Amino acid sequence: MRDRLQTRYQVQAQLRRPIKERPAHEKSQRETTLLLPTLRTLKKLPNFYLSIVNMVGPIASLSQLNRADGSASYKCPATGYSILGAVNAPIELPARRDALKPEEATVEVFVKPGTTTAGVGERHVEGILRSVLGKIVLGREKGFPRRGVVLTLAIVGGENVERGDSANLSQYLTILPALLHAGLLAMVSASVPLSMTFSATLLGVTKSGDIVRDLSPTAAKAAVSLHVFAVSSKNHLLLNESEGRFDFDTWELVRERALSVCQGETAASADGDVTMGEGTASASLNGFIRETVEDQVYSDYAFKLDSI
Amino acid sequence: MSAPLVLLPSDEVPQDHLPTNNSNPLRLGPGLRILSQPSSKGSSHVLTATQAGLLTTDAKRNTVSLLSFPNRRYIPTVNDFVIAQIHHSSVDFFHCMVTPHTAHALLGQLSFEGASKKTRPMLKQGELVYARVQSVGVGAGAEVELTCVNPATGKADGGLGPLTGGMVFDVSTGMAARLIRASSSSAEHTDAIEGLVVLSELGKKLESLGGFEIAVGRNGKVWVDCSNAAESAVKVTVAVGRCLQETDQQNLHPHDQKKLVTKILRDMKLVS
Amino acid sequence: MSKEAQLSIAERDFILEALRENVRLDGRQPDDYRALNISFGEEYGHVNLQLGKTNIIVRISSEVTKPREDRPFDGLFNINLELTAMGSPAWENGRTNDIEAYATNTLDRIIRHSNALDTESLCILKGVSCWSIRADVHVIDYDGNITDAACIAIMAGLQHFRRPDAVVRDGRVIVYGVEQRVPVALNITHKPLSVTFHTFNDSKHVVVDATLKEEQAAEGDLVIGINSAGDVCYLSKYAGAPADAMVIVNKTNVAWEKVKQINAAVEKVLQADLAKRAKIGMADESRAENDRLVQIE
Repeated sequence: MRDRLQTRYQVQAQLRRPIKERPAHEKSQRETTLLLPTLRTLKKLPNFYLSIVNMVGPIASLSQLNRADGSASYKCPATGYSILGAVNAPIELPARRDALKPEEATVEVFVKPGTTTAGVGERHVEGILRSVLGKIVLGREKGFPRRGVVLTLAIVGGENVERGDSANLSQYLTILPALLHAGLLAMVSASVPLSMTFSATLLGVTKSGDIVRDLSPTAAKAAVSLHVFAVSSKNHLLLNESEGRFDFDTWELVRERALSVCQGETAASADGDVTMGEGTASASLNGFIRETVEDQVYSDYAFKLDSI
Repeated sequence: MSAPLVLLPSDEVPQDHLPTNNSNPLRLGPGLRILSQPSSKGSSHVLTATQAGLLTTDAKRNTVSLLSFPNRRYIPTVNDFVIAQIHHSSVDFFHCMVTPHTAHALLGQLSFEGASKKTRPMLKQGELVYARVQSVGVGAGAEVELTCVNPATGKADGGLGPLTGGMVFDVSTGMAARLIRASSSSAEHTDAIEGLVVLSELGKKLESLGGFEIAVGRNGKVWVDCSNAAESAVKVTVAVGRCLQETDQQNLHPHDQKKLVTKILRDMKLVS
Repeated sequence: MSKEAQLSIAERDFILEALRENVRLDGRQPDDYRALNISFGEEYGHVNLQLGKTNIIVRISSEVTKPREDRPFDGLFNINLELTAMGSPAWENGRTNDIEAYATNTLDRIIRHSNALDTESLCILKGVSCWSIRADVHVIDYDGNITDAACIAIMAGLQHFRRPDAVVRDGRVIVYGVEQRVPVALNITHKPLSVTFHTFNDSKHVVVDATLKEEQAAEGDLVIGINSAGDVCYLSKYAGAPADAMVIVNKTNVAWEKVKQINAAVEKVLQADLAKRAKIGMADESRAENDRLVQIE
């Protein structure tokens, strides 16, 4: 059994190495640099490696903070945003005793911008996050009723979200998927009981009618319409935020694209085979979320897996 | 033993991963729930995960549970041993802190070995007790009750009661659970010691200095006392605490745990 | 719930007892800092700093704004410290607490009031437009001593930051994009840092860089703001038993040594990062050419 595990480990490391650039404050020691040497032998410049990182998908890691009950970082190279999320749960919320629901947990979300003071935009996006995450938190599990699940998200990298100019499409849609992913991963890291996981994507329709994924803030400004979709691990549509001018046919096309981005092409045949992290599923965002979580579990329980 | 399986919320537990021993009813640990699914042949039941973690089964006791992330917050569970801190007392109860920033747990003034109205311990704010979770109540806002006696025997089994002197160190809840599992398993079962050799190593090396006493609370606290060590008591306590915390934070391999013990004891000038 | 959970009697007594034997919980000497780790992010002025288990991110940003009426020749510089539940579950989101007010005040006094950042150099056009520099401090993990950690991170950030170039032409202000003109470093007059000591056992024991548990067991703190040249720009001791004058003098000397060491360490990381950026910048320019070279090989 041990052999099988080891092989799987290495395959994963190889597959994932180019998109995993773990931050320095990451606790886990387990890191292999399988691809780096081969890159060096290409006699290219060191930043060749960096440019690969920038081209490929998101980077995420779990549980890097000590004080918070759970934490996660999420970086989306395409939009440039880097988010740090922390969850404290279940804890007492003394100041909001009146607002608490007696039978279940109250989810609180706080978004802290990187280089400005929080304003109306942050409050708006907090509302969206609270409703999406509130739907999947099982607030009646043991220890959670009447307690708070406090999620704090700090925008630690990327441009400032512009505000005040109503001529632009809401810039907050561009950052929403990154905030949702960081929030979800932090919840998972804090072991908050959840009914399902999800992933979210930003899609824009350009003037020429093309559907583009993960637009940068500048590209988003030029888009005709912007859409953020969140799709659960069970294929539910959890969130649909759309802005701009579009018709139903366009929306339907965008929705189909969002489903394939989040779930991957193979998702339709969800036959419960959950152990397969490799292959086509890993190209989807839900696959990415799964791999990130699995990585952390494997490194936290290395002592247990070694003895098998 | 089947291959290790990591589940995420909403993942189903595959049938072939469940223990096949049918003499006892199957028991579910934390992180799993049972859902019934309507199907053509009436309803069927599936086990699904509500947290992310490693699926573990115990064939002997017929249990299946999910080991979730070790840095999570402790949620009181009946029969767990915890180290609680007295916050204040009322007529019938001591109000204790089990984890910071959550509601206080109640510990009866008479829930101590041999306690009566006259002989009950007078505990002040900030004092520590080693207690057992007696009940967590049902429904919303239920209070957690602690006790310092074994209800079956009326005795303070397992060192329950006030903890005087010594020092408490914070570790992750995962580490606390590992320490408890490791100490309850017999030494012959090498795979059952949870990859922890740090305590036995410390015990071996510190025996000559008088050894040390330890109490582990599932709420992520470890109490260490070395009153036998006379003049080196402070250093021994600090050394034990540092070894435990570093093993926890860096998730050290047994081999590195031994190195760490040697390094820290030399660092503290306890062994040459 | 704006307070950290109190220390137990056992913890407090043990920390004090151990200090009598000159032992600290993590094995440090009284005048030792915890391990300091500084790195820079992708953007200019983005600093990640770890001091033991205290973890801070500082981001410096700039924008063009109108100067204050009473100071037409000066730019603006603000330090913004907002504690969130990320750093410690004891801190409530959206509410100020004592630590926040205290740390902000100390940082203002040490960095802003000592004019470490030359605000006059931020003036673009007298009374019309100037740069506003803003330092945002995010405490993401709290284990004591945020003042020193934030101070080091802000100073490192100010030295690392580059603002866009701006000129006045025909009475109009033109701001050049980063692609158009090489961005400009800020004018730093001196590099003051805070060094925080905590006193125990009637000020008999004084330790630097206390952890959260040590802070909770302490009687009071002694904060010294000092630069590499040895100029003291801030000194406070608000609580605890009176300390001997010689203790203050000795600790000021200790603080001076620490500031010199830390500033040297910051300088080293800073130079390494700037060199790396220069290399990447050049590499980007010659990338196309380089690709061709590889093909020829």
